[in-house]
Amino acid sequence: MIRLQGIHREFQVGDQIVHALNGVDVEIDTGEYIAVTGPSGSGKSTLLNLLGLLDRPSAGTYTLDGTDVTSLTDEQQADTRNKKIGFVFQFFHLVPRLTAAENVELPMTLAGFPPDERKERVAASLADIGLAERAHHRPDQLSGGQRQRVAIARATIMRPSLLLADEPTGNLDSRSGAEVIRILEALIELGITLVVVTHDEKIASRAQRRIRIVDGGIETDVRVQDNAR
Amino acid sequence: MRVSDIFQFALASLAGYRTRTILMLLAMSIGVAAVVILTSLGEGARRYVANQFSSLGTHLLIVLPGRSETAGASPSTLMGETPRDLTLGDAEALSRSRHVRRVAPISVGMSAVSWSSRERDVIILGANADFIDIRRWKMARGRFLPRSNLDEAAPVAVIGEKVRKELFGAQNALGQWLRIGDYRFRVIGILGSSGQSIGVDTEELIIIPVASAQTIFNNPSLFRILVEAKSRAAMPLAEAAVLDTIRQRHQGEEDVTVITQNAVLATFDRIFVALTLTVAGIAAISLAVAGILIMNVMLVAVTQRRAEIGLLKALGAPGREILELFLAEALSLSVVGAVAGLLLGQLGSLVIRQMFPEFPAFAPWWASVAGITVAVVTGTLFSLLPARRAARLDPIDALSRR
Ligand SMILES: Nc1ncnc2c1ncn2[C@@H]1O[C@H](COP(=O)(O)OP(=O)(O)OP(=O)(O)O)[C@@H](O)[C@H]1O
Ligand SMILES: [Mg+2]
Repeated sequence: MIRLQGIHREFQVGDQIVHALNGVDVEIDTGEYIAVTGPSGSGKSTLLNLLGLLDRPSAGTYTLDGTDVTSLTDEQQADTRNKKIGFVFQFFHLVPRLTAAENVELPMTLAGFPPDERKERVAASLADIGLAERAHHRPDQLSGGQRQRVAIARATIMRPSLLLADEPTGNLDSRSGAEVIRILEALIELGITLVVVTHDEKIASRAQRRIRIVDGGIETDVRVQDNAR
Repeated sequence: MRVSDIFQFALASLAGYRTRTILMLLAMSIGVAAVVILTSLGEGARRYVANQFSSLGTHLLIVLPGRSETAGASPSTLMGETPRDLTLGDAEALSRSRHVRRVAPISVGMSAVSWSSRERDVIILGANADFIDIRRWKMARGRFLPRSNLDEAAPVAVIGEKVRKELFGAQNALGQWLRIGDYRFRVIGILGSSGQSIGVDTEELIIIPVASAQTIFNNPSLFRILVEAKSRAAMPLAEAAVLDTIRQRHQGEEDVTVITQNAVLATFDRIFVALTLTVAGIAAISLAVAGILIMNVMLVAVTQRRAEIGLLKALGAPGREILELFLAEALSLSVVGAVAGLLLGQLGSLVIRQMFPEFPAFAPWWASVAGITVAVVTGTLFSLLPARRAARLDPIDALSRR
């Protein structure tokens, strides 16, 4: 369902050109659980941003569910992000003045769902991650782990087929991190495609497929048939 | 996104940045309040003058000897002739017109007036019985001039309040004989003080029959003739009749000027409307300044809220929707600010009216409408630039903590 062909991404920094990605080719099937690893500055976040349509490649094509998404208009890309893709960030990126429920509701609000349906789905989603009684708390009243759980609820409220997580546990202690990973992995059972960028070998080892990126290129791409979960 | 959600989101973010919001509201509302208060002052001045004029009587024509220059040079003035005087005969003839209710011939002069040992110089007004009704003045005591033929020089006088006080002090003035020039007059009435009336102070004059005044001043020509038309509608007819009569009596020369209440009022009206527009314009500049302030604050807001904007984009908001969100914020701000300003302005003009009751400081409706419109339009226009900047933000740039 995802096919990247000859993806390049260059950044102009002053009079210097930084090659963040140098010709990445990869195919990802629906329902895969992929861990992306690699040294700092190797291009992991850049790859994830491209997959999430937050960025456009300098060269190459990106086909998502059969459509070439690089040629879509801003409006169409926004719609794709809204309906097909969920994003979880290292720094949570919750809107500080909105409550947990309102943050989770945001993608549905943007999509124009009627308020009743929004409220119903948000309540169910918060209950799923065990934060029902925190619905009306603002982010600064929540712990890091709780914030990341709210962020996951927000990323999945539109029932996307692809969930991208950039170091989702990077800012959490190991116990909260494990809880976050448990919630993410539960989503795979529901058929979601999960791509996680991580520095944590323990987390990476749980994925069926591990892609290691070095200097903007794929160094290894390993599928583990019988993973030791 | 639904329109109601857009505004709800906008209002929530305005409430989230309280200081900034209050600052912008203040700028907006002061601008609108300035428009309302300044125009209410201009309008108040206009109405004040209009009221003063209507105290003169609304269907009044004033006939002056001589042709006014604005009406174009007539052959007689070109040849340097002095125009014919207005006489009692002219006044008599004017009063016979179908469109004229009554006339008052007036002659004016200054004379020494004395009673017992006291003496003073006083303005002497020669008039007739109809004069007091035409000018809408009131008597304090006694009677006004009696009804009689215009050429009858009765020795009676009606005196102003201040004249009375200065000549008679605590003594009763009614029925006393005072001396004006070389003639003796009996005081038959005392004028009420009718406030300020354009041009004359009713307290500082003496009114005597016009024929008596002509005798004292030894001058048969009139200062002017006041003509009251039968109705407001009859004013143009009365004016034509006046000119017609004068032409017939003055060997075909139209050597008088007729001033109508309306013409004078219209001139003042134009002046004050221009004045009001000017102050409204000046006040509108403060709205433009408010607009620029809003633009500035919005630009800062966009920079501060980069992360939020990037996030909204990541969650599926297209650039257009970001633009709408920021414009909705600007629009809500402007509307609330403008309405607050309107209330503030109305309150301000109410206070002015309370402090100066005879000054009707009411903001004209168009000023309120214009003030609100300009506020909303500038508020929104000046937010367009920051909103577009927000809409074009790159989501990863906005999200990264670089
Ligand atoms: N917006 C940008 N402008 C300029 N250079 C950039 C930009 N984004 C990324 N880069 C560069 O591209 C390269 C890859 O960056 P990227 O963020 O993808 O690395 P990463 O693998 O996610 O690293 P880390 O593990 O530290 O997060 C780096 O050299 C980085 O400096
Ligand atoms: Mg990274």
